Amino acid sequence: MKLWNKPWTLPEGFFIGGALMLVGLLLQLIVGPVEWEVFAWPVNGVIMAALLLLIAAMYGLRKSVYAFLFIGTYQAAIPTMVYAVALTIVMGLTRQTGHGSWLNSMLTFWPFVLIYALVAVILGLVVLRQVRSWAAVGFAIAKFRFSLLFHLGLFVAMTTATLGNADMQRVKMVVSKEQPEWRALDERGNVHEMPLGIQLKKFVMETYEDGSPRRYASEILILTKKEEPTEATVDVNKPVETGGWKIYQYGYDTQMGAQSAISILELVSAPWLPAVYTGIYMMLAGAVCMFVLGGRRKRV
Amino acid sequence: MSWEFFAYFAIVAVLLWTAGAFAAWRGKTAVAYTATAGGLLVFFSFIVAMWVSLERPPLRTMGETRLWYSFFLPFAGLLVYSRWKYKWVLSFSTLMAVVFVCINIFKPEIHDKTLMPALQSPWFAPHVIVYMFAYALLGAATMMALYLLWKKDERPLPAVDDLVYVGLAFMTIGMLFGSLWAKEAWGHYWTWDPKETWAAITWFSYLIYIHYRQLPAHRPRLALWLLLLCFVLLQMCWWGINYLPSAQATSVHTYSS
Repeated sequence: MKLWNKPWTLPEGFFIGGALMLVGLLLQLIVGPVEWEVFAWPVNGVIMAALLLLIAAMYGLRKSVYAFLFIGTYQAAIPTMVYAVALTIVMGLTRQTGHGSWLNSMLTFWPFVLIYALVAVILGLVVLRQVRSWAAVGFAIAKFRFSLLFHLGLFVAMTTATLGNADMQRVKMVVSKEQPEWRALDERGNVHEMPLGIQLKKFVMETYEDGSPRRYASEILILTKKEEPTEATVDVNKPVETGGWKIYQYGYDTQMGAQSAISILELVSAPWLPAVYTGIYMMLAGAVCMFVLGGRRKRV
Repeated sequence: MSWEFFAYFAIVAVLLWTAGAFAAWRGKTAVAYTATAGGLLVFFSFIVAMWVSLERPPLRTMGETRLWYSFFLPFAGLLVYSRWKYKWVLSFSTLMAVVFVCINIFKPEIHDKTLMPALQSPWFAPHVIVYMFAYALLGAATMMALYLLWKKDERPLPAVDDLVYVGLAFMTIGMLFGSLWAKEAWGHYWTWDPKETWAAITWFSYLIYIHYRQLPAHRPRLALWLLLLCFVLLQMCWWGINYLPSAQATSVHTYSS
């Protein structure tokens, strides 16, 4: 069989994915690595809308443009997944420091980003196709396919996690007993004025017999410009949520141990989190369906 | 209960599992069930006793996770046996379990009592137990794939698919529990930590197998080889990264060292 004779199969799928990686390589050479900071709101919102429109348009035109029909098939999905796995293996085998060559910064490597974008487009097309064929049988429960939950859940989780990442803020705050702290440091060492202030009331530390920490936590006072101060205890694994921020116990003065006069807290704001969690819970539901129905499904 | 009693429990369990495997070969189904279940009971009582005496779930060190794996392998074997009655499956699962039991007897790793605060979470036990069960099921699928490649027989592939489906379902649950936990413990649900990167690789590779099997014109033997490759990648995720230079000292998932 010759390449590009219809129907297209795996070789054409590999060809399309390979071509996309080449485009990515060219982009890498011309414009340099992907600058994720650019994607901060509202750019990420626009891109999300554009992605949804693109998928809807491709789905709508699938009968007139064969390539759009093909992109939503197993024959296109499998090669794309193979490329995605191969690139992720490269990522797993190299040290991801964020600087140095593209090997050390796969998340900003255009071919990596574009292949995962193609995964998202394929997922979107598959979801539309599955919803349509389910609608054709009047959404009968018996005809529901659990893979729809997986496809939609993964689509939602990976697109919102990736695009929402630029809006996520993670800062560290060193708090002490003397006075409330209103400033925090980001990963690059820039100082940020925070909408909330935190004062340490008491640093709690319990140790095992060998001296290794059993528990460390901060009893804190949270201040805002408008409301009354509130008290809270931040433990490892038990963050405290306030005004759109989650406060985590991050560290302490390890030289001083239990006598530490300071506590290091991490403050995280992730506005896209509910969307990501929606995707994660859909996939969890899909996995439960897969476990229950996995062995009993009818084979074509 | 402490680690020094492990060999006694393990030997009794292994003897029972071997008796069960032997009974399965001879077609004595009832004996196979009873003996294998008995072995599981003995082995599990050791796990419970360890849990009580350590005052934490025995899930932290590699040796402790191997404990669960040696338990879940005959368990998965028993599930497969009860469903499809393959005579050989209990022998395979017993053999695999013996390998892990032997590693734990001859090369146990530190089993101290401490549990660092990062691991003190209600997510800890479900995350690791679900993962170990997934690994056992996918290990069973791998054994079947090896057997079918060797016998040059592709007809039982649907049974392999069933194992992969259930295994992948558990792996997905384990991975997503991990991400929900990571959000509570480290502030983010996914940071491309080496362990997470390899978890994604493993997850995607099993998805490739499942999708490839759906292709009308696919090669069954290639599918079986693919499954072996998936299991190699899974090893990388499970313990291989501990030896990987790129992951050394950068992974937040290193607790046993």
